[in-house]
Amino acid sequence: MDAAVRDALSARLLAMADDELVLAHRNSEWTGHAPILEEDIAFTNMALDELGHASIWYGLYGELTGEDADRLIFFRNAGQYRNAQLVELPRGDWAFSMVRQYLFDAAEYVTLNHLKASSYSPLAEAAAKIATEESYHLRHTGLWLRRLGLGTEESHGRAQAALNVLWPYARQLFVPLPNDDVLVEAGIFPAAGLLLNEWTSMTRSHLADCGLTVPEEALPRRDVDRAEHTEHLMALLAVMQSVARLDPEAEW
Amino acid sequence: MTDQWPRYEVFKQDRTDGPFRNVGSVHAPDAELALMNARNVFARRPACVALWVVPDAAIARRTAEQLAAGDAVEIEDSGDSGRYAVFSKQSQRQTMTYVDYVGEVTARSVEAALQTAADTFTDVPGIVWWACPVEAITASPQSDLPGFEAATSKLFRMPNQYHTVFTMQKIRRGEEGEE
Repeated sequence: MDAAVRDALSARLLAMADDELVLAHRNSEWTGHAPILEEDIAFTNMALDELGHASIWYGLYGELTGEDADRLIFFRNAGQYRNAQLVELPRGDWAFSMVRQYLFDAAEYVTLNHLKASSYSPLAEAAAKIATEESYHLRHTGLWLRRLGLGTEESHGRAQAALNVLWPYARQLFVPLPNDDVLVEAGIFPAAGLLLNEWTSMTRSHLADCGLTVPEEALPRRDVDRAEHTEHLMALLAVMQSVARLDPEAEW
Repeated sequence: MTDQWPRYEVFKQDRTDGPFRNVGSVHAPDAELALMNARNVFARRPACVALWVVPDAAIARRTAEQLAAGDAVEIEDSGDSGRYAVFSKQSQRQTMTYVDYVGEVTARSVEAALQTAADTFTDVPGIVWWACPVEAITASPQSDLPGFEAATSKLFRMPNQYHTVFTMQKIRRGEEGEE
């Protein structure tokens, strides 16, 4: 593989893996605390699914770079993570976590749809495998959003408040990486602008069906680099990495 | 007054030629979410090709003894006849309450359907009979099948698949660091 393509692809894979990992960790914080037992099981399962997806993307990243997933996960600092800020925000209330998961699921759904036809076959095969699971996630969160949005005054208020905060953050998922054009040209990864358009029409239509209003930004939010993080990521990593860092050479 | 969502009985089909079998129940605000919860609770790992959910309130249940004592027929028939799905518990051996789908009957009430079922399916050893209107069943759509199949391909790891178990055994034996 051409060095420029390899560098661009590994940057993209790391971003995808970090998004999934950090979201999985945030969602796992609901384990034992979800509103009802059945949802506790379901959301924990979804956190595990995202962790599984992260593992797949780290694996592909490792094939290109020779790096080990466990080292990447447990021994990088916040500034070395490439996840979007959307997934590192604290879990908030149930509506906040559901709206975030929905916005992320929709982004993953439209991305995987394109990746299934990626010219890089390991990526296409992984995408096909993950897509089935992801369509379940999207249905799950889609159904929840409908009930929150059209439910009681309180559920609607909480879902709308969550959307007002999360919508601008979600756009960072579609900020192109510096060398994305190399991937687009090689038919490996779709153009971020294309994904943003598909995601926007999909989410706007469903959110409207749920009685939720997309906040119109007075000023477009600037494109935030994936190396920039909120203070929440440091706190998350401190918890997630604490055991591994107690004894870096421990056998797992 | 309860703050619990209604309960739905869940029936799982393991193979396309196998029966729908009651595997337990879930709480959910409606049938659509009940199916979703059922999938997460009962079909995350085990073999599954289809799920049904039925509101607990729509199901009538009688033991064979109650039916023999004429319990169900005493209930007055209510109006027109309809189609009912009937289920029976066929063995005491299982520790769980396995109740299998047997078929459909026509009856004038859900209770009458129980007696009709016991009279119709005489080759089925019915220890307990369940019945519900067929329209009370919500079935998973055919489009769920790829998802069920994907679930069975997931690796279920036993604890001994991790090095940790052996490491802990070594530490207990005082062999740590002797490699």
